[in-house]
Amino acid sequence: MIGVIDYGLGNIRAFSNIYKSFDIPHRIITQKHELSGIEKIILPGVGAFDDAMKKFNTSGMRNTVEKMVFENKIPILGVCVGLQMLGNSSDEGVEEGLGWIDANVKILDTEKVSHSTKLPHMGWNTINIINKEELLFNGIHDKKRFYFLHSYYFDCNHEEDILTLTNYGFNFASSAKKGNIYGVQFHPEKSLENGEKLLFNFAKI
Amino acid sequence: MLHPRIIPNLLIHKKGLVKTVNFKNPKYVGDPLNAVKIFNEKSVDELIVTDIDASVKGDEPDYELIEKIAMECRMPLCYGGGITNAKQAKEIFRLGVEKISISSAAINNPSIIPEIAESVGSQSVVIVLDVKKKFFSNGYDIFTHNGTKKTGLDPVKFIRKIQNTGVGEIVINSIDQDGSMKGYDYKIIDDVRKTTSLPMTVLGGAGSLDDLGNLIKKNSIIGAGAGSLFVFKGKYRAVLINYPNQKEKIELIETFMV
Amino acid sequence: MMNNKTIKYQVCTNCVMDTSDSKITFDNKGVCDHCITFYNDIEPKWDTGDKGHKELEKIVDKIKNQGKNKDFDCIMGMSGGVDSSYLLYMMKEKYDLRPLVFHVDAGWNSQIAVNNIERLVDGLGLDLFTEVIDWEEMKDLQLSYFKSGVPHIDSPQDHAFFATMYKFASKHKIKTILTGGNYSTECIRNPIEWMYYQSDSIQLLDIHKKFGSIPLNNFPVTNILWHKIYLPYIRKIKTYRPLDYIPYIKDDAMNLLVQKFGYQEYPQKHFESRFTKFYESYWLPERFGYDTRKVQYSSLIVTNQMTRKDALLKLQNKPYDTETIKNDFEYISNKLSIDVSELKKYFQMPKKTYKDYKSQELIYNLGSIGMRMLGLEKGGKR
Repeated sequence: MIGVIDYGLGNIRAFSNIYKSFDIPHRIITQKHELSGIEKIILPGVGAFDDAMKKFNTSGMRNTVEKMVFENKIPILGVCVGLQMLGNSSDEGVEEGLGWIDANVKILDTEKVSHSTKLPHMGWNTINIINKEELLFNGIHDKKRFYFLHSYYFDCNHEEDILTLTNYGFNFASSAKKGNIYGVQFHPEKSLENGEKLLFNFAKI
Repeated sequence: MLHPRIIPNLLIHKKGLVKTVNFKNPKYVGDPLNAVKIFNEKSVDELIVTDIDASVKGDEPDYELIEKIAMECRMPLCYGGGITNAKQAKEIFRLGVEKISISSAAINNPSIIPEIAESVGSQSVVIVLDVKKKFFSNGYDIFTHNGTKKTGLDPVKFIRKIQNTGVGEIVINSIDQDGSMKGYDYKIIDDVRKTTSLPMTVLGGAGSLDDLGNLIKKNSIIGAGAGSLFVFKGKYRAVLINYPNQKEKIELIETFMV
Repeated sequence: MMNNKTIKYQVCTNCVMDTSDSKITFDNKGVCDHCITFYNDIEPKWDTGDKGHKELEKIVDKIKNQGKNKDFDCIMGMSGGVDSSYLLYMMKEKYDLRPLVFHVDAGWNSQIAVNNIERLVDGLGLDLFTEVIDWEEMKDLQLSYFKSGVPHIDSPQDHAFFATMYKFASKHKIKTILTGGNYSTECIRNPIEWMYYQSDSIQLLDIHKKFGSIPLNNFPVTNILWHKIYLPYIRKIKTYRPLDYIPYIKDDAMNLLVQKFGYQEYPQKHFESRFTKFYESYWLPERFGYDTRKVQYSSLIVTNQMTRKDALLKLQNKPYDTETIKNDFEYISNKLSIDVSELKKYFQMPKKTYKDYKSQELIYNLGSIGMRMLGLEKGGKR
């Protein structure tokens, strides 16, 4: 049973539609007791870092999720701002991040971006898969495209936590993983077939 | 490398999909849901869907239709038409839509922009400006209510005024070129491009893949929107949903992008 | 009208039609009347060799003459299916005609169909004309058919297709309509009990009158007398089926289209429409016990394109995909703006037949007899 956390931000419906089309059992979680029996967690997120952290912290679900992730090793997938929340902090705001992956969120370095619309990084861009054996990307070829929409990126302090790199003026981590904790900067719920495959893979991990 | 977005533009009128010319004479082209489904299967980059009746009639958004459309889209969807407050925007996001577009609401009450941006983030707030060349000078006017109301506002000045208030994207829609399939209006595109570094999408006039290519050549990263091009085929403007396949799209972008 | 007679199950020893066609009869060798009609009435008069080719050339010359100095010399109905696609290819490339490709969008086009139409039209450099049926009216009519309880619920699409084509030809004074209908894959027809005449406008309008909720202002309605007598004999607008005059082997045609145009295959005949797919693979067989695959395979058997053994083997599988049927149910319900529970209700309601509503059946029967007497029609629907 997949649990999609609805703490007020993110396209919850889109995740639900995809899992529904695969007939994969899933539940939208708005309260902590609904987390009972959940085997995998999706943590969506859009908008500003501080707003997301505040909403998640006051949702009443944070502690239970943290327990599930660290004590029961339940796999969790952070999406977009959901990935950024997994880090220590963000230059975008003042709130503390979850600190579950050692990384800091910084503004994208667009010095080498030649066109005039530097930020946000918006549109379909390619991912370069570092570890081709990684199950999250099973069946997804290298250099496939996903939809991005962000101005900040997840700056991992440990190279081994980086799953994929994407180029936008420079190479940044478009996805990361530490043990059972995963995060993607792009929007798999809106990345057509590639995104559907990734979400499917996550369900099967 | 980031690619420009090629975006079909769908208009809804009386529950049906229509195409207009200069924003007039809506011609029925079919069921919106079927079109969305087909575009989804064709893996389009993004989709813009606008209800052209809503602001004119002062109706609430058709939530039932929006929900059905959102269910079929596995790519970003921008919905617009008749959105005048943050409550409506929130409901539309809840139904699975990523971006909402506002036009007359932003012009009449620019403070709605930060209001909506605050609840979901500026990336989701798209401002659509329907523009028409002035008769006697080189400038442009913004029109609202489906091209029927002249606001007397200059698009460049208006963009300068609102660009830092929580806008995620600007869509420029040329009333003059709408449905003509004779090419984009590059003057207004250039004017707006010089004014703001916000993401931009343009609509109105695309008649061939080369038109999209030329837009990409001049702007690199931009949203190349098209209505008639992706809905009609051939000299009789036969209704047939079409969109370049992956190979054709990559070829187009790689040929034209500098 | 309950049928209390239990018919003993019997299947033809030659093809795979069986007693699910309640009017079927068998000779003393167990061969059904469909086969007998084919062997006695159709096959002897069906020539795809020299004779057929010469006849077709005569027709083609006439079309070319009538079309001189016009933008196009005929219209060809195109659904995106194999038959009409192959017809298009043959008539343009081998017979040098200049057709206007005519497509009717009834709201159910699958992506594959739309893509295939595009590939053919682009690949052959032809002009396309599309008529889009008013979806709100189509939806209302479609729901009326569900509510009527009859088997032939795909009539709205078929009716719209022909009505639109005839109206277009009439309006623009085009003398020739070409369709992909053919003996090769359709010599054995769906029994009327399964699929009543889709062109019967009296039935269509009666069903709509009883169950529809919005008026049919834009929906194209044709009339059997208009398009079978007035158009061809008074207005001289003729309809031909060129695939009857030349060799047409389905598999070969498919391979050619795939190779030449990048055509995408359909899982089964008529699957270019998502509704027809649902209707033929699920609704008709599961609700009424009418499996159209039996008709299609039987046509292929008598024309030596399929063995009876293969057909029987294939028929052992369900006609619909058990994995995706739930999605199809949802899709159809969604499109028709009803709940899945409402669609299920229609599935379970008492079964009706075309006889329960007004019809022009008498005219069809008289017409059929007349046509056969004049030698103008071979075999045909029963």
